[in-house]
Amino acid sequence: MINVIAAAEFGGEFEGVLEPINQLFNFPPIFELSLFGLDLSINRTILIAWLMMAIVAGVFLYGLRNPQIVPGKFQAFLEMIVDFNRQIALDIIGPKGLKFVPLLTTLFVGIFALNIAKITPLLMLPPTSRAAWPIFLAAIAWLVYVGVGIKEQGFLGYFGGIAFPSGVPKALYIILTPIEIVSTLILRPFTLFVRLFANMVAGHILVVITLVTIHVFLPSPAGWPIAAFAFIASPLVFGFELFIIGLQAYIFSMLTAVYISSSMEAH
Amino acid sequence: MLLATIILAVEEDPDSIALLPDAAELIWGFFAFGLLMLAIIKFVFPKLNQTLEDRSAAIQGKLEEADSKLADAEEAKRRYEESIADAQGDANRIVEEAKASADALRAEARERAEAEAQHIIERAQADVSAERDRALQELRTQVGAISVELASRIVERELDDATHAGLVDEYIQRLSNQN
Repeated sequence: MINVIAAAEFGGEFEGVLEPINQLFNFPPIFELSLFGLDLSINRTILIAWLMMAIVAGVFLYGLRNPQIVPGKFQAFLEMIVDFNRQIALDIIGPKGLKFVPLLTTLFVGIFALNIAKITPLLMLPPTSRAAWPIFLAAIAWLVYVGVGIKEQGFLGYFGGIAFPSGVPKALYIILTPIEIVSTLILRPFTLFVRLFANMVAGHILVVITLVTIHVFLPSPAGWPIAAFAFIASPLVFGFELFIIGLQAYIFSMLTAVYISSSMEAH
Repeated sequence: MLLATIILAVEEDPDSIALLPDAAELIWGFFAFGLLMLAIIKFVFPKLNQTLEDRSAAIQGKLEEADSKLADAEEAKRRYEESIADAQGDANRIVEEAKASADALRAEARERAEAEAQHIIERAQADVSAERDRALQELRTQVGAISVELASRIVERELDDATHAGLVDEYIQRLSNQN
């Protein structure tokens, strides 16, 4: 039922419900705010993002405020999440990866929380379906792995290693150097951004269409079979989206570890 | 180039999904995520790592304790088995000693019995010998008297007792010497 309630904001008219498509994502400011000539108005996605970040921080601060040697269920659950990221760091980066566990954990739980707003009743909008969040997160990943590369191999060592991979005939550098520079320094963060962003946009549209279908076809008896189908499909869609939400959080965290790992050793 | 093209294409149509980040969302997101990361790095992980260290130390301690208890138990078992082996040895020794002392007693008893028997035999032999001597003495006396009587009948003359005794003794002496 809550799904139908969430769809109610579209008013039962299919005509123009999804048009323009940007209205599913772009919400008018709730609080107008302007600082230093910048428009810092608070809109719905910002509030959702704050709420989700606050919930994650609260859960971790509360759950691990006084960790016990013999953990309770809640503590064990949180430790399991951290351990999951520790395993990612250890498997991909190795023992040196342990210092990136807090970063990977924050990325994982942060992205998961932002994504899960997509299927959270009353929120029903993932902040990660707005370009700002995936770009920001990809920028963090980029800064970290480029920073690690410069720190581990030196400025020239790192960028030289990217531009001129060893073990390749010199003539091939004509082709390889531009490809390597573009792929390592531009395509990596860009794919991180697009993968998360596109998945969340598509997921949000899928959820909205499923719920709007129920709402739009319910009033007339001729539409009941379609409404019933959408109603039955909606939990499956939610389950599928939950899977995507977790998968994208995992992929982002894992790829960040992969990029950090590749920065630690020369090509 | 590709990115720029996409961005330009998107910018032309305000009704399609925005690919450019909204500045307000970017800045507020930066603060929100920054605070989350700060909370996790500054407050969650130090405690968690401390707990994990404490836990591994506790597990290590428990394992060592268990090891030492196992060693103690094995030592106790070894001592117990040793004491059982000792007791077995003692029992065997006692049985052996009992056997030996029984053998000794039996041998002693037999020896004593044999000695006793020997003694009895010797005494019997002595008795027999004394009896024979006495019988011989008697016989000698009787033989003397019979001889004298026989001789007196043969010679038909009386011999006085002294001569008589002298004759008999002489005769016996001769017999003894012949023997």
